[in-house]
Amino acid sequence: MRRTRGATLVGFVAATAMLLAGCSSAASTPNSTSASSKPVAGGDLVVARPFDAISMNKTLVNDSPSLWITEQIMEPLFTSTDDGKSVKPLLASSYKVSADKLTYTINLRKGVKFSDGTPMTAKDVKFSIDEDTKTATTGWGYINAAIDQVAVVDDSTVQIKLKYAWAPILADLALFSNAIIPDNYQGKTAADFYAAPVGTGPFKWDTWQKGQYLKLAKNANYWQAGKPYLNSVTWTVVPDANTRKLQLQGGQIDIDQQPDWSSFASLKSTPGLKTYAFPSTQMDYMEFNQKIKPLDDVHVRRAISYAIDRPALVKAVLFGNGSPANSSLAPGVPFYDKTVAGYTFDLKKAKAELAKSSVPNGFTTTLLIKSGDANQGAVSQIVQSELAAIGITLTIRQLDPTSNKKARIASNFDMASATWTMDIPDPDEWMSYALNPGNSGSLASAMGYNNPAIAALNKQAQGEVDPAKRAADYSKIQTMQNNDAPILTLYYSPYAYASTDKVQAFAVTPLGNSNFLDVYKTK
Amino acid sequence: MLRRMQFIPGRLIQTIPVVFGVTLVVFFLGHLLPGDPAIAILGEHATPARVAALREQLGLNLPLGVQYGQFLLHILQGNLGQSLTYQVPVASLVLQAVPVTLSLLLFALIISLAISIPLAGLAAAKPGGAWDYVARGYTLLGQGMPQFWVGIMLLLLLAVGLRVFPVGGYGITPLDHIYYLCLPALTMGIAMSPTIVRSLRSSTIDVLGSEYIATARSKGSSGTALFRQHVLRNAVIPTVSIIGVHLGYLVGGSIVIEKVFAIPGLGSLMLNAIFSRDFPTIQAVSLMVALFVVAVGILTDIIYTLLNPRINLSEGGEAV
Repeated sequence: MRRTRGATLVGFVAATAMLLAGCSSAASTPNSTSASSKPVAGGDLVVARPFDAISMNKTLVNDSPSLWITEQIMEPLFTSTDDGKSVKPLLASSYKVSADKLTYTINLRKGVKFSDGTPMTAKDVKFSIDEDTKTATTGWGYINAAIDQVAVVDDSTVQIKLKYAWAPILADLALFSNAIIPDNYQGKTAADFYAAPVGTGPFKWDTWQKGQYLKLAKNANYWQAGKPYLNSVTWTVVPDANTRKLQLQGGQIDIDQQPDWSSFASLKSTPGLKTYAFPSTQMDYMEFNQKIKPLDDVHVRRAISYAIDRPALVKAVLFGNGSPANSSLAPGVPFYDKTVAGYTFDLKKAKAELAKSSVPNGFTTTLLIKSGDANQGAVSQIVQSELAAIGITLTIRQLDPTSNKKARIASNFDMASATWTMDIPDPDEWMSYALNPGNSGSLASAMGYNNPAIAALNKQAQGEVDPAKRAADYSKIQTMQNNDAPILTLYYSPYAYASTDKVQAFAVTPLGNSNFLDVYKTK
Repeated sequence: MLRRMQFIPGRLIQTIPVVFGVTLVVFFLGHLLPGDPAIAILGEHATPARVAALREQLGLNLPLGVQYGQFLLHILQGNLGQSLTYQVPVASLVLQAVPVTLSLLLFALIISLAISIPLAGLAAAKPGGAWDYVARGYTLLGQGMPQFWVGIMLLLLLAVGLRVFPVGGYGITPLDHIYYLCLPALTMGIAMSPTIVRSLRSSTIDVLGSEYIATARSKGSSGTALFRQHVLRNAVIPTVSIIGVHLGYLVGGSIVIEKVFAIPGLGSLMLNAIFSRDFPTIQAVSLMVALFVVAVGILTDIIYTLLNPRINLSEGGEAV
């Protein structure tokens, strides 16, 4: 998953934000909504966010602030549908799967040009996918592990041969790291190319003042005639949530990419502003280290799962803008099963499970959280007091984000707070991470969780091309996982955005991709 | 005149061990920070194998002593190293940030002097008078208000309320920059001015009571001419050293102001580098700040010497 860099904010900033939220919520005129007006071409859009991009090398870079920009410049063959539930062709126009499910023949969309005017051909496609595959150990290339080879059939056809039947392949090809760039980096080195990347996307490279702003301009050669509407999009770096809020109110920026949930309601009621809570693939949870006692005991894990009041967490942390989790898959992920029972707050059941366990009278354990992460801090304190009710003493242990991750991959924790978001529109990314104990660095191996029946079912789902059968497999997996309670599922959080009411047609998919293609500004 | 400036080469030589000491402290304290830049770069995708590969690639597996040696060698060659996060020369990041912070400081200094000199002069002219009360009230208030709070209040009043200034940011053209820096500079200027007003007020009162002022008055000098030619020049001497010390502190203080106002200066660069454990950038920024403080120290001494012919900092010079 991509790094979520947002939560490390300095305390006083949060405090002042709340103070100001209190001040401005006095004005409560409803938002003016100018629905279904005709798109207007022109205008420059300014988006403020807390972090700068790091690099445009889509095959190596890991952080969302970078990736969300590469997605505007470079497009893959396929892309996720707006609801994030399936895949549709983008630079591809159609595809055929062979009977043995090992060969995908992909026809490329005609008339697609790079932003510099040169036409996109099959050679470019082969080069781009191979480029990604080469980064298996250093970047996103592991996502292409099932690909045996990519062959150029003619200028507008490529053939992808797989090593084994692999259902998530189209979703994998839809990942930003498989986006299409010109063959051989237009003769440049990779570093030079990614310093000013060229792609087929709606926007093209303009300027980047590191730490300050990054600007993309309209791609006049874009293959969807008449689009994009905007002349340019500029992302500015504004670390302070409160400053972003004031800039939005002052009309200095058009979109705030990360408003605090604490000021969300007051932004919503401010005249001239709009707020958005886009459905996401984000799931907040806690890891259980099952290599140690007593967390290796399923009854202990179930007892903890029953002891947590999830709606209360949603209210405290997300100010009501989210929902309690019933499955380890979020509702925005394909094959999410809403009928999975999940765990609801029930002290009687919690105590009964604990009574069946190896530690009927409770025990002492620690919870690892990221220092400076306001959300994890709040959650940990609530969980601490809730577990005290069933006799579990929880000590909160804070480590800075990188030491925290180091401790988690080294299994050096009891319980640990974590967040997951998806990068591809397929549940396999998470399932393989959470369920595959053989994969060093996977969550399952760090937690010491191994259920061979689930692992086998997951493997079967990976090779199953029929969506109905895959759905059945993943439903079974979600129920079995729920019974094992290998992680403590907490809540689903939407993506918060705010904009002025001049911004129209702005949308973000559950994977976090912003769509600026259809965005336009009214006067 | 030239003789009195002979202390400068000696002072410059003294800076070498200072700067060397700073690199030593910054390097080893930086590496004492828990956390791994490789994990910061890889994020949640970090696996033991990928972390090891990236550490190897970034040269983080070498012994610390060797890394420090390389760091020093590169500095001597004028190379500040490669940013671990951005993968570009640190020098390019620093060069982009230094002018921003310097202009912010200079602007803040001008504002604080524009507030302090008239206020202190008026207050000292009649101790116990109305202006004196204004000055004392101002210093009390100014010292009592935290800088970031003043910043936010100015933002609310002048940027959100009256919309005279932008809410943070730095703009694109040089004129933009000045416009965008107004509010943060005002914030820092207000924070800096109370101590200047105090020191200037008391030294002005001292000077006004001295015999040479009586002489000047008896020769018919009065009003602003007297203040400029005889009073200010003498009264400002202790204030110069206070400003010098202040400027050193302000570079550190600019981290807060730069965050509140979204200004891409050294403070912002440092904060991000610390979060991502980008050691070369942390080292380079600390080095810049150290050099700046040293330079301000030398500059203070020079101004001191120029203002007061009686001060002689050069060796063998005799106090008159």
